[in-house]
Amino acid sequence: MIAAEHLSKWYGQVSGLNDVTVTVPPGITGLLGPNGAGKSTFMKLVTGQLKPSKGTVKILGEPIWGNPALYHRIGFCPEQDSFYERMTGLGWVTALVSLNGLEPDAASAAAKRALEAVDLLDAADKKIGAYSKGMRQRVKMAQALAHDPQVLILDEPLSGMDPLMRRRTIRLIRDWGRSGKSVLVSSHILHEIESMTSNILLINNGRILAEGNVHQIRELIDTHPHSVFIRAEDTKALARALLVEDGVISMRFEPGAMVVETARPDAFYARLTDMAASGEAGVIDEVTSPDDNLQAVFKYLVKQ
Amino acid sequence: MKPFLRGAWRVFELSLGEMLWSRRTIFLALVVGCPVLVAAVYRIVDMLGVTPLKLNGQRMDTTVFGIMIWLLFLRFIVPVLGVFYGTSLIADEVEDKTITYLFTRPIRRSAVLFGKYIAYLVCTTLVVLPGVMLVYFLIVPFQQIGAGFTMLVTDLALMALGLAAYGGLFALVGTIMKRPLVVGLVFAFGWEQFALIMPGYVRRFTLMYYIQSLVPHAMPAESVTSLLQAFFTDNPSTLTSLVSLAGAIVVSLALAGRVVERREYVLEQ
Repeated sequence: MIAAEHLSKWYGQVSGLNDVTVTVPPGITGLLGPNGAGKSTFMKLVTGQLKPSKGTVKILGEPIWGNPALYHRIGFCPEQDSFYERMTGLGWVTALVSLNGLEPDAASAAAKRALEAVDLLDAADKKIGAYSKGMRQRVKMAQALAHDPQVLILDEPLSGMDPLMRRRTIRLIRDWGRSGKSVLVSSHILHEIESMTSNILLINNGRILAEGNVHQIRELIDTHPHSVFIRAEDTKALARALLVEDGVISMRFEPGAMVVETARPDAFYARLTDMAASGEAGVIDEVTSPDDNLQAVFKYLVKQ
Repeated sequence: MKPFLRGAWRVFELSLGEMLWSRRTIFLALVVGCPVLVAAVYRIVDMLGVTPLKLNGQRMDTTVFGIMIWLLFLRFIVPVLGVFYGTSLIADEVEDKTITYLFTRPIRRSAVLFGKYIAYLVCTTLVVLPGVMLVYFLIVPFQQIGAGFTMLVTDLALMALGLAAYGGLFALVGTIMKRPLVVGLVFAFGWEQFALIMPGYVRRFTLMYYIQSLVPHAMPAESVTSLLQAFFTDNPSTLTSLVSLAGAIVVSLALAGRVVERREYVLEQ
């Protein structure tokens, strides 16, 4: 699906990606790396936003740089939270999908289908400026999949979503994979990637450190405490409910939010999702995992 | 060519609404509103019975309109709008980080630029041309409106041509330079003003040289403005001006398209 050969990118004297040779197979592949690892540079190179300083990158057998026709077969959900804020979700996705050559009626129908797929049809006529963080993430995903691309490239797609939406989005990505689409998804949270696929690329300092099955590094990573930032309506009630959970090491409160350190991230995320679904500890608005989790893991892995 | 134009049209549709409802359009309306306000004051003073400006017993309304077109619109408003909109066609999308959505679609990047350029042209003419018409109807007495209509139409066409020329040039500046606004302002209000008063060939390297030669207004021969106009204008023929301006638009847009096709836009994290 994606093939990079001796791919390097320099920003002046700074190296963003260094001599990467990798083949991303069909199916779902997770690109995992801490902040500054080169994930974004890799994503920008494979989506043709940047030109390789050295080497080549091909998607579906064709070079992507300067090859706009290839975007008929690619959908890209960028990381940045940027929109035409005054447009409605439906208007925005329709306008973007019409750039793929669809006539107005077909574009509108495709946009509605995509918004339905990401559970946003009810808010389709609201302005994007009024969307919550999770809704903004979902409308970004809708524009990426509206033209039914063969390859989906998703840059940190779960960032800022609440636990329920996270679960739904993960299921959606898995469904795309099962339906024969190829998906490259980046994240700095191993547990997110692991819930979508076992096939991962580990990237750090502009190099691919490892590629293959996630389970091989799983146990190493689990020995490290993992921080989770939770924005919730009633943080005290949530804290009371979480205190009894195994693996919770510490808690820290911030205005309207809390940061929990856990030694059992998998179990913790599963419990948090259940709590969000049942509402037993009030409304949970947002769950994020600070980037330094993975940074610590990488430091640890490099030392091994 | 067809996919290029189709892509440009789609970008135009997407961009026009964004441009019309942007903060920049409020600025545009304020800029265009100033001459309209001046014209309204002129009309009110006239209605209050204050003796109108006369030369050799003739009212000077048409001349006043001509001066406003020449000094306010052509020498100031058109270049300002060209600078502010033209330089921002791509720069705004980069700054807002929305360029990714446009550059990861199956249309050429130059079609994105061209679509946005047409949106700029429509947006500015939709505000400027009604402004010129308002000024005309406020200043020129009702009885003379019919007689000066051809002049008004020429003025409107000239505004559109000026906006197209400056917009094209500054679109190119915007795709090449890191600080296009500063460069644009220096060009429009530094270089052009300086070159126009220089004798010789230098003024031919300005857009205003060609634009003002197309201005239809004849100033009264005895007035200071006519002397100024005579000094500033070393008129090329209408055909030379039209061909030069059309050439400037085509070359600017072609170069801008070429730059945007090849340039990497690195968004700040």
